[in-house]
Amino acid sequence: MNLLIISDKDYYTKYLLERLINNVAKSELALSGIKVLDISNGYAGGYCTKVLRDLGADVIKVEIPEIGDICRSFGPFFNNDPNIETSAPHLYLNAGKKSITLDVTNPEAKDVFLKLCTESDILVENFKPGLMSQMGFQYQELSKSNPGLIMCSLTYFGQFGPYSNFEGSDIVSYAMSGYMHLTGDEDKEPMKAGGRQAEYQCGLAGSMSIIAALIARSLSGHGDHIDVSATEALTSTFDGVAYFQTYHKTGSDPTRAGTRLITREPTGAYPSTLLPCKDGWVHVHYSPSNPEGIGFLTRNERLADDEIMSRMREHADEIDDLITEWLRDHTREEVQTLAQEVRVPFTMVQSIEETMSDPQNKHRNFFAPIEHEVVGKMSYPTSPFRLKTAEWEALPAPILGQNNHQVYEKDLKIHASKIAGLKSKGVM
Amino acid sequence: MPNPTPLSNVRIADLTNVIAGPVATRILGHMGAEVVKVELPWGRAIGNISMHGDEGEGRAYNKVGTFNEVNRAKKSMAIDLTHTTGKKLFKEIVSVSDVVIQNYSPRVMGNLGLAYEDLRAVKPDVIMVSMPALGLEGPWSNYISFGPGTDALGGLSSITGYKNGQPHKPGNFYADHNSGFHVATGIMAALFRRYKTGEGQHLEIVLREATMSVIGEYFIEYQFTGKEPKRIGNDHPVFFPHGIFQCKGTDSWIAISVESYQEWQALCEVIGSFELKNDKTLSKVSSRRLNSEKIELEITNWTKRKTNIEAMDLMQSTGIRAGIVAKASDILSDAHVSERNYLDTVYHPDAGEYTSPGLPFKFTQSSTNLGVRAPMFSEHSLPILSDLLAKDISTIESLIEKGTTPLEPIDRVYS
Repeated sequence: MNLLIISDKDYYTKYLLERLINNVAKSELALSGIKVLDISNGYAGGYCTKVLRDLGADVIKVEIPEIGDICRSFGPFFNNDPNIETSAPHLYLNAGKKSITLDVTNPEAKDVFLKLCTESDILVENFKPGLMSQMGFQYQELSKSNPGLIMCSLTYFGQFGPYSNFEGSDIVSYAMSGYMHLTGDEDKEPMKAGGRQAEYQCGLAGSMSIIAALIARSLSGHGDHIDVSATEALTSTFDGVAYFQTYHKTGSDPTRAGTRLITREPTGAYPSTLLPCKDGWVHVHYSPSNPEGIGFLTRNERLADDEIMSRMREHADEIDDLITEWLRDHTREEVQTLAQEVRVPFTMVQSIEETMSDPQNKHRNFFAPIEHEVVGKMSYPTSPFRLKTAEWEALPAPILGQNNHQVYEKDLKIHASKIAGLKSKGVM
Repeated sequence: MPNPTPLSNVRIADLTNVIAGPVATRILGHMGAEVVKVELPWGRAIGNISMHGDEGEGRAYNKVGTFNEVNRAKKSMAIDLTHTTGKKLFKEIVSVSDVVIQNYSPRVMGNLGLAYEDLRAVKPDVIMVSMPALGLEGPWSNYISFGPGTDALGGLSSITGYKNGQPHKPGNFYADHNSGFHVATGIMAALFRRYKTGEGQHLEIVLREATMSVIGEYFIEYQFTGKEPKRIGNDHPVFFPHGIFQCKGTDSWIAISVESYQEWQALCEVIGSFELKNDKTLSKVSSRRLNSEKIELEITNWTKRKTNIEAMDLMQSTGIRAGIVAKASDILSDAHVSERNYLDTVYHPDAGEYTSPGLPFKFTQSSTNLGVRAPMFSEHSLPILSDLLAKDISTIESLIEKGTTPLEPIDRVYS
């Protein structure tokens, strides 16, 4: 099929057309048919079930009536107008999921909730440890009628241990994970990375372990209860060498090193840092398979000199100065193009807007248009998983309670009078 | 009998190097998969980055710290894939494996004659995983980048930084670990699908796309506001106070975030500031922000007189979200970390004992494969050749002699 007839500018059209064509080959994604019940609130659970949904699972969000997932109350909002349907994190994280309303903390909701659990493969929750048991929803109880149920509990500090009842937040987990001490400038206070990395890693660890448990279940028939701590999830993403191994070796705590790598061994590789150029910043990096590349690129013999090459990290300041001299005369794009031509891994620091519209993301259609009944058409990040068996489906985030009728009346066949009763009490 | 591990009957042929790929297969190794790490004949690729190698002593190649950390729970066999016999040997491993994973730049596998189609010919239901930095196709597909370079290209550097400061990055290799975890997740999903359908596939997970996925809301935000999000350091777009405060001791800090009026009142009480507590105008976040300097000073006056652990315990006891900015020594000696048995400490004959982060989750039913060190160079070549591939002694001797499967690293030839 010839797609070249379509103007590159209109990559949305091209994207839609490609989807149409590929529909022929559309079979199924990896987790097709897997039913996920998500009673969690916030980013961690949101990303956990987003990943499961990206991989093909059918996700039902169970939300508090009228308020919904707490993400719906986080801005920024469309038109700067706070509204439970228009929050950016909700629109991103919950795209393609279904929404039903049920206040699971209300005892009246118990039998409906238990029925939902019986029909599900996976339950994701992020109540404080102990709360599920208080409500009578401990795993032993839920698994009685559904032995294959996989329950995943996402918290800041885990289900047990001295801190399990601590109050947490993204910044608190970032701090306690050890990552914050390693982020930021040497002479300034430790700093958090942008976004909500502790909560995202918590969610990702949740989806990773859930899929492992699904495989275990297909062999053994039994489900599992998984305990994920956001703090541990983030600790798991750092380089234990720069941290624990260095501490054991030197007896002192390694500290942050600005945009450079933490390890300060004089013979360590360098550069790996951000440096300014003519119109912004670039990431400059040493290439192990092309050690002389940077000297060649910058036409500076000193940068390929043995004295520097044998003790790179020790010469970090000088290397920065020499590269900056060259960078000063070049734009980010020039730097990236010239460097990559000679196999030197320099890359641009791109803004959010630039990232969305760069030629590589356009070519790969990493961002896709989705029409939402309140905010209209917006461009969304798609899925980080390119499964070649089926296409990721670009669907909007659900309106709160959008699937109540389908799930309660059609799927669960709950009697209309019961539904009316629960509705009148604000449980549904 | 202990419960089995989830991937106890899975074998993985692992061609990945450096960090992101090895992190992914390490997780699969911890899940019980048999990971055959096919190494380059000239030794640990990461050794060229040489961040942590001890020079001068015997078998320095077995002491590369980063290698030993990210390659726990794997087997090692070196194969020279430029040899025809090396390629053939690799294909034999593939024929008895479930997954093949590699993180070379897009052209390499094709050039080696080991593209998906080639591998599918020897193992029809193979799951092949490619994890390029920027994608297998597209105008930048042949660009090379390590993890931190994808922070830059993916927008994370742009939203990370001190207030009014330059773009920044999370410490060390965040993007590599993040994408490694996405890859482990994707592989297990593909394995799950294969159990149901019997079909393999070629799975692609792009380093930069994993990074963009963990900051996804910022792309929507930009379309709402038409403005680039500001770098705000430890601040929060809404909540205040939200940040870190200096405590007694060197480079000692506590993180605090106040998200409700009750928490604000509790905070004022803990720090003994009844002036702040009784000031009704400060019940609103917006008015607290207008008085930010005064409030932060009051908090710091209190935290400075406490160690960060004392401050954390006092604050947590009244329901305030607070936690120390932990250093390595804090984590290694922490009672919570130890009760949860989180860290993974292993003994390595050449490198000695070392401690690494453990798994980011705990099962109740399934077992995991922790406490298994990284392999020494080519440590498992002989058992793999004789037991897995059923080679006779003369064939094995010839493979070693010709350098196709060296038992010790050979001098690297730069092409």
